[in-house]
This record gives sequence, structure tokens and C-alpha cells, in this order.
Amino acid sequence: MKTRKAIAQFGNYTLLIILGALFALPFIYTLYTSLITMQDVNKLAGVSNWTFDNYKMFFTNDAYNVPKWLMNTVIMTAVVILGNLIINPMVGFALAKLDFKGKKLIYWIVVGTMMVPYHMILIPVYVNVAELGWLNSFTGLTVPFLYQALYIFMMRQFFISIPTEFIEAARLDGLTKVGAFWRIVYPLARSSLITMSILAFSGTWNSYLIPVTLTSDPSMYVLVVGLNSVKDMFFENTPLIMAGVVLATLPILIFFFIFQRQYIEGVSSAGVKG
Amino acid sequence: MSNGTKAAAELRRDNKGGQSLFRKMFDSDMSVGWLFSLPFLILWAWWFFYPFLQSFIRSFQDANFAALDEAKFIGFQNYVRILQDPEFYRAVLHSLEIVLIAVPVQTLIGLLMAILVNQKIKGKGIFRTVFFIPYITSQIAITTVFMMLFKQGTFVTEFFGLFGFGNVTWFADTNYALMFVAILFIFQQCGFTMIVYLSGLQEVPKDLYEAGQIDGASKWAQFRYITVPFLKPITFFIVSVATILGFQIFDQIAAISRYGALGSPAGATNTVVTYFYQHGIRYMNIGYGSAAVVLFFLIIMIITYLQKKLLDEKG
Repeated sequence: MKTRKAIAQFGNYTLLIILGALFALPFIYTLYTSLITMQDVNKLAGVSNWTFDNYKMFFTNDAYNVPKWLMNTVIMTAVVILGNLIINPMVGFALAKLDFKGKKLIYWIVVGTMMVPYHMILIPVYVNVAELGWLNSFTGLTVPFLYQALYIFMMRQFFISIPTEFIEAARLDGLTKVGAFWRIVYPLARSSLITMSILAFSGTWNSYLIPVTLTSDPSMYVLVVGLNSVKDMFFENTPLIMAGVVLATLPILIFFFIFQRQYIEGVSSAGVKG
Repeated sequence: MSNGTKAAAELRRDNKGGQSLFRKMFDSDMSVGWLFSLPFLILWAWWFFYPFLQSFIRSFQDANFAALDEAKFIGFQNYVRILQDPEFYRAVLHSLEIVLIAVPVQTLIGLLMAILVNQKIKGKGIFRTVFFIPYITSQIAITTVFMMLFKQGTFVTEFFGLFGFGNVTWFADTNYALMFVAILFIFQQCGFTMIVYLSGLQEVPKDLYEAGQIDGASKWAQFRYITVPFLKPITFFIVSVATILGFQIFDQIAAISRYGALGSPAGATNTVVTYFYQHGIRYMNIGYGSAAVVLFFLIIMIITYLQKKLLDEKG
């Protein structure tokens, strides 16, 4: 019995290590290649031959302005998350805790919108953004994305679980329902709001389809779009491109390691309940 | 009563009236409900509903981005032209191929990961993180790395060569490019599948396994007759999500196309999505592209409907 258990354990470990190696390999390769010179690509180079020159290129060259792209990405992501943090919980609360004419309609609008892939409206959104003169601007990159139907639904599910007595008690203390929401209910939703922000953060930070459609001016690129253009321009220079990959993914990886627990909980709850 | 006090009383009443109006506005369900929904409804009408309708309307127009004012209705001509275009059928086929290869594989690998990480094993947290990271990493970044790895002559292509695959640059070879996209999608999606399965595995009642052990069921029998049936609804959810996402793949294909037309090499990775994007956005043929989008939407709806029906039948 004991040996059988040991064999099973050994089998588990072997499988884990093989899968783990397969999944870690691209990341190790990226990090390693970003530190070597072009002559050493796909060879093992000693630590003494490692260099940071590939990274330096990104901060000293005007053709690919990484600090600017980083700034653009930060602005876009921050504005989108801020909008989502204000707009989504308000609707979620109205749908969960208020009783008003038209509520059913709004509920079905949210659920229906949730199920339509963004591709469906991409062409008209592009045309409308262009006609407003919003191409290559932060307005175009953020205003259409300040709400997200899926997160409204998530917030609604959360607010349903909050006892209505909290709101009633707040009203006895003289608060209006608006006041009760912002002062009592909203702070109670902290963990849901964090989950939503995390999901919105990675979704916006990594998004490519929308920024690449709405921007064509390299000074308005976000990191991901910029990275792709660098990759196309200097395709043969693997170490340079790998340094770009590290720069573009490092912020989100740091963010992930900070919020790992909430992140994984958020994904599994969005998955199972949503 | 003097005029002055009368005015003051009136002012007080007005003030009180104002207060109660304020109170009413911020306290009645009706007004707060709409007040809270208003920012969303405005943005939604402007940036979802209106474009949504436009997608349908434009699909019946001969509309070019450069001269949208001159757009004219041409009935079903866009649809007819798309349905006569062999490239469109190739694109649909490619979308289906990606889904049919990638969805089962990512479901199985994700399940295996979840089971492994669910054991009492040292260091499982590290493995869970390693498996999950591709899901939160930019797909452009991952595709870029895989393009470097799957070039002709690298250790990766040589390794695959041992199993009879050609030593070629995968994303530039018409026989391998679609497989390359499927691999990228599997690599990305496994972590999500694992996390969802993991939360399911933790909800399987422990006494079911205990009862199984008493009956002398082997580990495999326990897995087959306890775990798998219990995870069925979750499996259905995972397969549905992965199928829809598989149909929507864009970033990976855009990245491997580089300066070429979307779907490079030679249309080998052209999907329904790149087909509409190429026509609607790149060629700025708004009408034709919109008709392709509507067809894309129909395909997604049909698949969702079939999946729902399958679930209902199986209970």
C-alpha cells in the first residue's frame, strides 16, 4: 500500500514537472534571450556575456518610445477602471436593491449586451470614433469602454447578497438611498470592487484589437501595439524583441503577484457564477 | 402678519419643499433607479446599441469609409457576394478547425493540471502560478515568443522533428500555421480551465470518495464514476466558453501576419474574424465587412443554441 502511494506520488510529480517545464520554458527563454547578444541566440551564453543593451535600446531610441507607450497604457487603463468602478456598481445596485419601472428592461439590456462579442460592433465603433475625430486620442480609447455589462452583472449578484436591512438602517439615520449606497453599501462591496478592477485591469492592459483599430500614430500606441510593431520592424533581432516582451509584460506580472489570491478567486467566481 | 414674515415663511416652505424634492429624488426607488442607470444607459445607447443597429443596416449597403455619405442600399448583395466567396468558406473551416483541435485539448490538459494541483503535494502553489500566468499575459507577447521558438532550426522545431513534424518555420508554413495558432490558444486557455476545474474539484463531497473506497473502487473508477459526473456542468461551461473564445481569436493571427494581409501565410490562418476585419477595417469596405460580421454573429448564435440544446437534452 505504501509503495503504491509512493509510486502514485512519483507519477504525479513527474507529470507536474513535465507540464511545468513546458509552460515555464517560454518565459525562461524570453528572459534569457533578452540578456544576450544576437550571436548567442539559441546557444548557451555564460553569465559574463550577458548584457542589458537590449533594454537600453528601448529607452534611448525615438522610433520606439517605450516610456511614452507605458504612459499611454497607464492612462488608458486607469481611466477605464475608474469609469467601471463608478458606473457598474451603480447599475448593479439599482438592479439588485431598487424596485422601479423599467428595471426588467435594463436587466435584459445588461444580460443581452454581455452575450454579444465585441467584434459585432467593432466596425461601426471605428466609424463613429473616426467621425468624432477621436482616432489616436485617449477619448476614443476610453469613453466607449467606461462600462462593462459582465461586471454590472457581477456587481448585481454581489449586491443581492447584502441584507436590505443595511440600507433601511442607514435611512433611519437620515441618509437617502443614494447616500446609503455611497456611504454604506459601496464600501461593503470592497472585495467585489477589487475583483472587478483586477479583471478590468488585465483585460484593458492586454487588449490589442481595440487599440490597434483606433490608433495609427506611433506616439499614441499602447505597449502591446508598440511591441507588435517593434517585432515586425526588427524581426531578426530576437534579443531586442525579447527585451520588449519583458518590458511589456512585467507590469502585469508584478500586479498579478501582488493580487494573486484575489485574482484567482475572481476568475473562478466569474467563471462559476457568471 | 407683515409682508416680511410672510415672505420669510414662504421662503422656509420653499426651502422645505426643495428639501423634500431633493429627498424624493435621492430616496425613491423610481428616480434613484433611473439616476443610477443613466450613465450606463447613455454610454450603452451611444457605444453599443447604435453601433449594433448600424452593423445590420450597413450590411445592406454599399458603403465605403471614404464616402459614407454616398452609401446606398443594395439589398442582400453583400451577403450573396460573401456566400459566393470561397475564401469565406475557408475562413469558416479554419475557425472550426481551431476550435475542434484546441477546445478538447485545452479541456483535458486543464483538467489534468487541476487534478495534479489539487493533490497534497509540496510546491503545488508554484505550479498553479506557472500554469495560470499565460492566461493573464498579453497574447501578442506570447505569440511573439512562440514565433521565435518555432522558427526553422531552433531546438523546439528540431524537437518536434523527432515526432515527424517538418523542421520549418511553423507560422510561415501553410501546413503548420493553423496548428501554430491552435497551440497558442491552448497555451493561453489551460490556466483558466484549470482554475475553474479546481474550484469544482474542491466541491466534490468527500464522503462520496470514502464510500467509493469502502466499496473497493480503484482510483480510476472513483475518477470515472464520481469525479467526472460531478464535474459535468463545469465541463460544459468550460467547453462553451472556450468555443466562443476560439471563434473570436484575433491577436495571435494578427501578430503572425506581420506586414502581410491578415491570415498569412497565403490565407492559411484566415478565420471568420480576420475575414471581416480585413474587409471592414483594412479595406474600409464598411458594408461588406458588416455583412461578414452579421454572419459571424449568426454562427456564434447557432453554436450557443446547439450547446444549450445539448445541455437540456442531457439534463
